[in-house]
Amino acid sequence: MRVELIKFGNILISRQAGKEAFAAFQSSLKSISPDETLEIDFSGVITFTPSWGDEFLTPLQNQFKDKMILTNISSNPSVIESLKIIEQISHIPFKVAYN
Amino acid sequence: MADDENISIGEAAGLMDVSIDTLRRWDESGKFKAIRTAGGHRVYRKHDIEIFLSDLFKMAAEWVSTPEPSELPNKLYCPTSSEFQARLQKMQTILGSDASVANYFSLLVAVAGEIGNNSFDHNIGNWPDVQGVLFAFDTHKKQIILADRGLGVLRTLKRVRPELSTHGEALRVAFTEVVSGRTPEARGNGLKFVRKVIQDYPLNLLFQTGNASLILKHSESVLKIEDTLEPIRGCLALITY
Repeated sequence: MRVELIKFGNILISRQAGKEAFAAFQSSLKSISPDETLEIDFSGVITFTPSWGDEFLTPLQNQFKDKMILTNISSNPSVIESLKIIEQISHIPFKVAYN
Repeated sequence: MADDENISIGEAAGLMDVSIDTLRRWDESGKFKAIRTAGGHRVYRKHDIEIFLSDLFKMAAEWVSTPEPSELPNKLYCPTSSEFQARLQKMQTILGSDASVANYFSLLVAVAGEIGNNSFDHNIGNWPDVQGVLFAFDTHKKQIILADRGLGVLRTLKRVRPELSTHGEALRVAFTEVVSGRTPEARGNGLKFVRKVIQDYPLNLLFQTGNASLILKHSESVLKIEDTLEPIRGCLALITY
């Protein structure tokens, strides 16, 4: 399953917005099969923060572990730096597909 | 009658995005003085208005320093996080077209977003007087300003670190230590992100809370925290780039 983050906006910033996005995504998650990979697609995202990421990515990472893969992070520094901080806090490295 | 240089109080209020009553109060308190015509009417020099509006940091510093909150121009005041989000989006659009920050404009927006959202996340339901943040940016001066009249870093961090006793210690913890535990409130560790970004990208930060002030300069790993002469309410941040 692929999640396009741009559907939540191109500026993914607040903890509150991250929580709302995660809640909205729950219904889609029900249709994912146990062995399916979850792809988180960053195409089109302009600004990303650790607060939003912690609310959205961290619980998914805990659930999907190495079956979650991040794509199209391109060279966006706000995505790259935010992911580093989230990894540092959660001690779980993200699996990233570099294009 | 106003001459070419002077404008009426109504025009001034429109330009400054405040009410006429606010301008009358500012004149009486000395915050922003009017000129009196021979007939006793208040008029304003356009030039004085430009100077007043351009000194955004001074305006923010005054707003968090006074015992009673003063009124702010509407265009600088975000009472809710959704309003703040909408204005960040506007800043993102403007900075996105500025070639001089093309490589890192998303980080400027992210840093401002983390600092501003901290104000909302840590003060929700507990604002001492005015809810919300002052948020201003000046692309000519290359500065972004955020301020709130909230509880400040020490009081909000004491919920998870009760041993903290000074504003300076609280600032150091907020910017350097990963605060573990998600109760009683989620901790974003966003200020650690801010510090890391400033080390690696050409940004600087002045951050004041209570009677402590922190200066972070690009490529310097040292955290300079000093006591200030005058304490402030909440937090005051100046990002320069």
